[in-house]
Amino acid sequence: MANDPIHQFHISKLIPIEVGGIDLSFTNSSLFMVATVAAASAFLYFTTGARSMVPSRGQSMAELSYEFVANMLRDSAGTHGMKFFPLVFSLFMFVLFANMLGMFPYFFTVTSQIIVTFSLAVVVIGTVILYGFYKHGLKFLGLFVPSGVPGLLVPLVVAIEVISFFSRPVSLSVRLFASMLAGHITLKVFAGFIVSLAALGPLGIATAVLPLLMTVALTGLEFLISFIQAYVFAILTCMYLNDAVHPNH
Amino acid sequence: MAGFGQAMKLSSEFIAGVAVGAGMGWLIDRLAGTSPWGLIIFLLLGFCAGVLNVLRAAGKIAEPKPGVIGRKENE
Repeated sequence: MANDPIHQFHISKLIPIEVGGIDLSFTNSSLFMVATVAAASAFLYFTTGARSMVPSRGQSMAELSYEFVANMLRDSAGTHGMKFFPLVFSLFMFVLFANMLGMFPYFFTVTSQIIVTFSLAVVVIGTVILYGFYKHGLKFLGLFVPSGVPGLLVPLVVAIEVISFFSRPVSLSVRLFASMLAGHITLKVFAGFIVSLAALGPLGIATAVLPLLMTVALTGLEFLISFIQAYVFAILTCMYLNDAVHPNH
Repeated sequence: MAGFGQAMKLSSEFIAGVAVGAGMGWLIDRLAGTSPWGLIIFLLLGFCAGVLNVLRAAGKIAEPKPGVIGRKENE
């Protein structure tokens, strides 16, 4: 099992719970989601506790992440979009901490499960649809009708635009899930090469240096991808929210 | 690395379009009993939406700018 690159994604039940025939067990995935929320909350709570004018290192990190997400949201959705700041900031911190926790050896990566990323994307698109209809009523549907289309083509274009709209949560979730899954499998496979090669004797140990270097480089790359994917998830959320705030732009 | 990100972005956009189109067609077939026409038509529309997604993600065509006034003219 030590060399099986898929084994790290195996879900095991820690506390079996079953309510009315539905399996609601507390799994290792649930445990790491709780850990993610706890780590993100603890980071923000303890670093902003002092509230000093001259921020400590921790406080400036917290302020940096706040400014980062706030600017991202203001740039793409305008000042009206700032009411969604709590949502976007929570999503960003959750994905970032989940990805970063996943980088610890033997830890479970919750964002490598498509159902987790898909649920996050559904929250985003649900917010866009509900807020769009709440704020603009039926005018929100104008989002699906590009201006300047000949009358005959409107039904076809609307159908394509609707499919394109509903494919957003799918592509949002698939991108995050696929990046994390592919990255972790690659890491595991290269790390597995070291063990297999080292078992071959002196020549094998000499050759094992190559996958070792590769693994070190890939680990650095994975940290970068963890951050980039959290950023991509947040910026796309901002862009979709912009459609809900300004559907006629 | 930028290449991998780009590939992931474009492929997920295309696959999502096709998958959602096929899913919607399948649902329509299930609800309206029009099998297999809904699946066929919406799968093709899904391809169109996928290509549209890819072109938008690649920045080859602009995001839609539907004007509220333009919408009223169409109706």
